[in-house]
Amino acid sequence: MDAQGMPAARGIQAGIDRTPAQTASGTWLEHVHGWIITVDHKRLGIMYIVLGLVFLLVGGLEAMLIRIQLAVPHNTFVSPYTYNRLFTMHGTTMVFLVGMPLIFGFGNYLVPLMIGARDMAFPRLNAFSFWVAAFGGILLYYSFIGGNGLAGTGTAPDVAWFAYAPLTEKAFSPGHTVDYWAVSIFVSGIGSIGTAINILATVFCMRCKGMTLMRLPLLAWLYATVSFLVLVAVSPLTAAQAMLVIDRYLGGHFFDTQAGGSAILWAHFFWIFGHPEVYVLVLPAFAFANEIIPVFSRKAIFGYEAMVAASVGIGFISLGVWAHHMFTIGMTSFGNAFFTLSTMLVSIPTGIKTFNWLATIWGGKVRFETPMLFSIAFLFQWVLAGLTGIMLSVSAWNWQLHNSYFVVAHFHYVLVGAIVFMIFAAIYYWYPKMTGRMLDETLGKWHFWLMVLGFHMTFDVMHFPGLLGMPRQIYTYEPDRGWNTLNFIVSVGGFIQAIAILILVYNMVHSYFRGREAGPDPWDAWTLEWATPSPPPPYNFPVEPEVSSRRPLWDLKHPEDPDSAFE
Amino acid sequence: MTNPSSHHDPRAHAPNVSQTGDPHTHAVHLPQPTAWPFLMALGITLACASLVTSAALGYLGGVLALVSAIGWFRQVLPHEAHEDIVVTEQPVAIEPSQGTVARIEVDETHRAQLPLETFPISAGIKGGIAGGIAMVIPAEIYGLIRYHSIWYVVNLLGGAGVGTWTNPTVEQMRHFHLVAFITANIIQGVTTLLVGVLYGAMLPIWPRRPILLGGIIAPVLWTGLLHSVLGIVNPFLAENIDWWSFAASQVFFGVVAGYTVTRLGHLKRLAQAPLSVRLGLETPGLHPTHEGDERKQ
Amino acid sequence: MATVPLQHAKSDAEWRQPSRGVVAMASLITAESAIFTIFVTAYLYNLGRDVSGPTPKQVLEVPWFYSVCLLSSSGFIVLAEHAIEHARMGAFRLWWAVTILLGLIFLYGTGAEWHKLIVHDHLTISTNLFGTTYYSLVGLHASHVVVGLLMMLVVLAFALTRHVRPEHAYRIKVLALYWHFVDAVWVVVFTVVYLVGRS
Repeated sequence: MDAQGMPAARGIQAGIDRTPAQTASGTWLEHVHGWIITVDHKRLGIMYIVLGLVFLLVGGLEAMLIRIQLAVPHNTFVSPYTYNRLFTMHGTTMVFLVGMPLIFGFGNYLVPLMIGARDMAFPRLNAFSFWVAAFGGILLYYSFIGGNGLAGTGTAPDVAWFAYAPLTEKAFSPGHTVDYWAVSIFVSGIGSIGTAINILATVFCMRCKGMTLMRLPLLAWLYATVSFLVLVAVSPLTAAQAMLVIDRYLGGHFFDTQAGGSAILWAHFFWIFGHPEVYVLVLPAFAFANEIIPVFSRKAIFGYEAMVAASVGIGFISLGVWAHHMFTIGMTSFGNAFFTLSTMLVSIPTGIKTFNWLATIWGGKVRFETPMLFSIAFLFQWVLAGLTGIMLSVSAWNWQLHNSYFVVAHFHYVLVGAIVFMIFAAIYYWYPKMTGRMLDETLGKWHFWLMVLGFHMTFDVMHFPGLLGMPRQIYTYEPDRGWNTLNFIVSVGGFIQAIAILILVYNMVHSYFRGREAGPDPWDAWTLEWATPSPPPPYNFPVEPEVSSRRPLWDLKHPEDPDSAFE
Repeated sequence: MTNPSSHHDPRAHAPNVSQTGDPHTHAVHLPQPTAWPFLMALGITLACASLVTSAALGYLGGVLALVSAIGWFRQVLPHEAHEDIVVTEQPVAIEPSQGTVARIEVDETHRAQLPLETFPISAGIKGGIAGGIAMVIPAEIYGLIRYHSIWYVVNLLGGAGVGTWTNPTVEQMRHFHLVAFITANIIQGVTTLLVGVLYGAMLPIWPRRPILLGGIIAPVLWTGLLHSVLGIVNPFLAENIDWWSFAASQVFFGVVAGYTVTRLGHLKRLAQAPLSVRLGLETPGLHPTHEGDERKQ
Repeated sequence: MATVPLQHAKSDAEWRQPSRGVVAMASLITAESAIFTIFVTAYLYNLGRDVSGPTPKQVLEVPWFYSVCLLSSSGFIVLAEHAIEHARMGAFRLWWAVTILLGLIFLYGTGAEWHKLIVHDHLTISTNLFGTTYYSLVGLHASHVVVGLLMMLVVLAFALTRHVRPEHAYRIKVLALYWHFVDAVWVVVFTVVYLVGRS
């Protein structure tokens, strides 16, 4: 296009950071001390991500043990007691110690950089939130060795991750298993609420000049929505856990059915947290897709305003759907109809988002590098997960399949197929920014294809034992049920995924030392974090940036044709 | 497709910069690193962990939390502790280094969109509401002739099989029932609204004869669909429904809805505008004088 | 090398954003409201489901006086906010102290009520469902009153030693927001426990 007469002919001023690089010095211990006392959002973000990845390996190991146990009928690889602990700890770990730290890690790292700020709104609260979340996780795992449990397996929680009453009451769960679950999640919850407050204050109060709400990167919008959801969803869990502790330590009767208390109340309270929690985890996956897909399609995101509206809409609708986890507990037909319809309503904003991503890719000059590969797989798998979600939202269908492996397959399709895939995409996309080195592309492709193969072997096939009646959390099964081959395939797929993830771990360690230098902007991207060196200096920006469109770096790179001319 | 090696090299798309002034130095305030948040977190965790371990840990945690609260307080009040980092910044001017931005060329006549006029979706919704009210008439006529009661059809729709009212007799169904009345109204309202939206969305596909579409195709589709699934969805309703009068009220619905739509008038199609404009494609990529272009690189 | 966009031609408009203290306090209040909602729901859901006494009707008395104290303290804290905004430090210290005093009276009221319930009516948190839900809901609110009072006492100590100055008006406003929230929650708790619960 001809640059003459374009309003951008005025040119663009920019500043370059010429500060001499600080070379790291000091002993190993001084380095550790530096990380402990840091209040820098980037360091805290990296620590969150490392925490999440470490627990991902731990939770993954538990998943592998579960799959070994279920690979063949009549297996006694682990004892029933250990098995209960394994699936409880697997679920609890993956949601609270993998999902939350990873999403908060990326949020911490990216939100201030993307909105042109030097740090979060409350840097010390940020450090506190991270450490309290980390200590909560350590406390949860201390349960394996703390105190004497049954069969030498410690006192690790064994009541499933939703910890339904009245099994959790003192009469049925003596010892400290439930207490470890309640107390450590309670402690981590404090950290989640602190970070959520911090992100909200950062997004709304720390934007650089010119970054109006309609120019915010979509990632920042989604993190604001997520933080709001954390405030209104994690708090009820905190309250319910306080009630559980009152019951167990002070002799209260909240969930004590003998004294008139209600076990159903716990189910309601838990799922008031539990369902929005799924959206707390999946909305950041959307956020990563919103940043990655446009850059690798070489097009601006399609329908920015609709994306914002859909994200906020999902946030609100998700608060009114919790009881679709409870159709089999028994509700009035009006309750059934309400929660069926409200659940189906979620598909409207998520459909808007899916079509907008497709429209962004459509007509673009797509670069199929690892982050984009994971994003495309995410799109495909997310739609499938949504379809089984609509099936399960129909209460009559749900009565048939509730707590079967169909449900397990469905939510793993969301949690792995959508969330974990997008977290991998985010790691490939932002690792160069965080470390200054590129991840190896060949290993990345290996990781991707093994992951896709393993994922579909595991979770596509897992739907069928569910349809054939295999219940959730089952220890072992009879050989004549027709589940044998299916379960074996599921287990093999699980191990293929484990290999894929080990390749990622190797890639991350290897590339940290040997990877190619990334430079500030390896992907030719458009948001402000790519304006800084890789890794960014502690102060992020030598001067506070000033933006006049949604894609400040596009404006910078194309002064003859800036976005700002069209706003 | 660009050459993969080119976009790995950051220099390939770095813009040319030229210095426009002398570098200048200034200090950046950053919050000072502090251990108090770490100790506070440890204290709170230990205090909570005392529930599952021993009381001594609780005291330790409590003291730790209290001390760090004071330490933290002194970090931020009266003045936030900070450290200054001296940075040097060089003002520059950017010149474009890349070629011009490629755009999708859209032939303005590459895909004819016919017909030139259609109906707005809102007309479909209004038609649905009007039809929903109108279809009550044949249904009520049937109820009055067959069962001598205006409440029979209402109860059939709203009460039977829904809620706690199971397998009522015909005699019961001839009398007013509040819950059934409310439910029937909700079902009727929501369904006609949704069918109206569907109708509005289908109108652009067959925009020529809305009365024909509404009066014949829609009732046939809807009655056929219901006839095949009602036995599963609501067996009681399936047993008691009179399919011919049901189909008649559907036709009545469609004719009234179609008539309403034609009365509400036409809407010009954007047939002349290129596809991307009609889709409302991302505004920043579109140049006002070159509609239909699209940002590409 | 790294570049940051600096200035474009038309960027002289004033750049205003909400203040982070208010946003953070509003977020905290949102989270706290969710917690209270859960406890209030538990209270209402479990009303009348007890298998043994005592019942709310038998033992609870409506604490009109203490409620008026707490609710009126919201008015006095507004006066204090107003005073510090206009740099009238003497008035600020007075109204601030009155607010704290009213909060302390309310706390005494809760304590006296609990003393009567425990000693006279033999109702503890483990007696029955009513005891469990009552003590946890009212106790949750009382703990918020205690936290608010502690923070306000710290401010009072610094105010009396002349460390609080008019430029701190903004921080005072954020703290006052929390106190207003504590009062507003009491309206809900009062209605649920003493009006709905006893009927």
